[in-house]
Amino acid sequence: MSIMSYNGGAAIAMKGKNCVAIASDLRFGIQAQTVGMDFEKVFPMSDRLYLGLTGLATDVQTVVQKLAFQLKLYELRENRPISPKTFLSVVSNVLYEKRFGPYFIEPVIAGLDPKTSEPFIASCDLIGCPMEPEDFVVTGTCAVQMYGMCEALWQPDMEPDQLFECVSQALLNSVDRDAGSGWGAVVHIVEADKVTTRRLKARMD
Amino acid sequence: MAGGAADCSFWERVLAKHCRVYELRNKERISVAAASKLLANMVYGYKGMGLSMGTMICGWDKRGPGLYYVDSDGQRLDGNMFAVGSGATYAYGVLDAGYSYDLPIERALALGQQAIYHATHRDAYSGGNVNLYHMKETGWEHIGWTDVLKLHYQYKNEKK
Amino acid sequence: MAMADIYQNNYMSMAPTERRFEPYAFNGGNILAVAGEDFAIVASDTRLSQGFMIHSRDHPKAVQLSSSTVLAQSGFEGDITTLKKHVKIRIDMYEHNHGKKASTSAIASMISKMLYYKRFFPYYVYNIVAGLDDVGKGCVFSYDPVGSYEREQYRAAGAANELLQPLLDNQIGHKNMEGDFLPLSKEKALQLCIDCFISAAERDITTGDCVFLHVIDKDGIATKEFPLRRD
Repeated sequence: MSIMSYNGGAAIAMKGKNCVAIASDLRFGIQAQTVGMDFEKVFPMSDRLYLGLTGLATDVQTVVQKLAFQLKLYELRENRPISPKTFLSVVSNVLYEKRFGPYFIEPVIAGLDPKTSEPFIASCDLIGCPMEPEDFVVTGTCAVQMYGMCEALWQPDMEPDQLFECVSQALLNSVDRDAGSGWGAVVHIVEADKVTTRRLKARMD
Repeated sequence: MAGGAADCSFWERVLAKHCRVYELRNKERISVAAASKLLANMVYGYKGMGLSMGTMICGWDKRGPGLYYVDSDGQRLDGNMFAVGSGATYAYGVLDAGYSYDLPIERALALGQQAIYHATHRDAYSGGNVNLYHMKETGWEHIGWTDVLKLHYQYKNEKK
Repeated sequence: MAMADIYQNNYMSMAPTERRFEPYAFNGGNILAVAGEDFAIVASDTRLSQGFMIHSRDHPKAVQLSSSTVLAQSGFEGDITTLKKHVKIRIDMYEHNHGKKASTSAIASMISKMLYYKRFFPYYVYNIVAGLDDVGKGCVFSYDPVGSYEREQYRAAGAANELLQPLLDNQIGHKNMEGDFLPLSKEKALQLCIDCFISAAERDITTGDCVFLHVIDKDGIATKEFPLRRD
């Protein structure tokens, strides 16, 4: 069994009209055994910047702490909030540092630019190859299922409510077809003036 | 039954055929012991070839209620409580906590349903619906087909 | 690599040479079936591939077995051809022996047995049988390669089944949605099948070229074609 699916989990980010959505499931498991059902994989990194990490849970925690540290250094040095694009570079570099002994995680990033409020989403592979598509990014043990859902449900310029429905349906129906993820979900809708966080009613099997 | 889906459904069907033939030849229903032994002997012939099944055979005959565990290694045990499949350990945890031999029927049915629900909850490879039967002297009765999503919130409310 | 070959073929070498028998290949493609109240739809793409090689852009994966039954297959083309041949022969034999048409459920059960009889050297084929049942209702039967089968309302199989099955759960099964829903219309089902294949062709390299639709209802079986991306 791959180390990437040892703990299970899923995360997804999507672009809408002047907003972005980022969501994850809540399962923490050890292979087939579900240990925790309150393990969020999306972390607020700054005001309008969110990071989703799936893969090996121990590395998820290590990497999120490492990135929070790098982010504080940046903010102290520059005395301004980081832009999502710059944060992607930080993530990419932190991951590539461990090119020959990588962290077993795959990140997604979602946020709004602190100056222009331009929506931004991106993802990386485990050694830091960045990708910035204009629609959606997915990661986790049910990435394939999420690609299928998003490819059919996503459309350009969705309003926040529409985006919430789209990302929720994409995530929920995907995790229900994957044994390694699910057991609850959390969705963040990031807009220029507010961030809405909701827990979803999900199947618990 | 748990394990290989095709193995389970195929050999269950073959067993059903043998039981029917027995009934026609002997003008009498086959005993639970004989039926389970029939299955054990059939799959024993394929030992080492990769069949995968864990089964529980229960019924009612001259000796009263009968319950046997039969698996694809050819192992056959009789007992009064079994669980099989990837979530069996979780089910046993619930069963052991609530089981006694003289449990009233309603409580036994609820316990069985609860055991399966908890197995689906903790085991990644189990889930969907809980199927519940009551094996009586007169034959089986189908009690319910319940989505575990419904059970989850039902049990959650009861806890409050 | 060249050095390794020389050492391998050196008659002086005492190292044993290993020859492997690889009886299976995977020829990609995707199949999908949906059952409605009084109809069934089978959709399949027409690409035949192996690895990164496209063998054909015009190779149907669904075949009509009777006036109300269609079989769709995906997996290893060699086994598909063989199984299909045997299934057709068995249906002919059934019709000659019993003097009546084989029902969809009878065909479905027969295929299950044919698959299980090769339990220890399976056909590497994912099958879906769709059609009308004995009372004229739409039905779909899906299989695993060794013959476990189930009657369902909808099923996707083949290379992109993981992409499509959750979408069908949502759109046809109304999973993770609350409220009352209208019964599935033929038009909606058809459009959904096409959308599914457009999505699958977007992300799965073995799906593409064209999607073939078989619509089975009381008037017979109609076929439709819809182009997909060809890259």
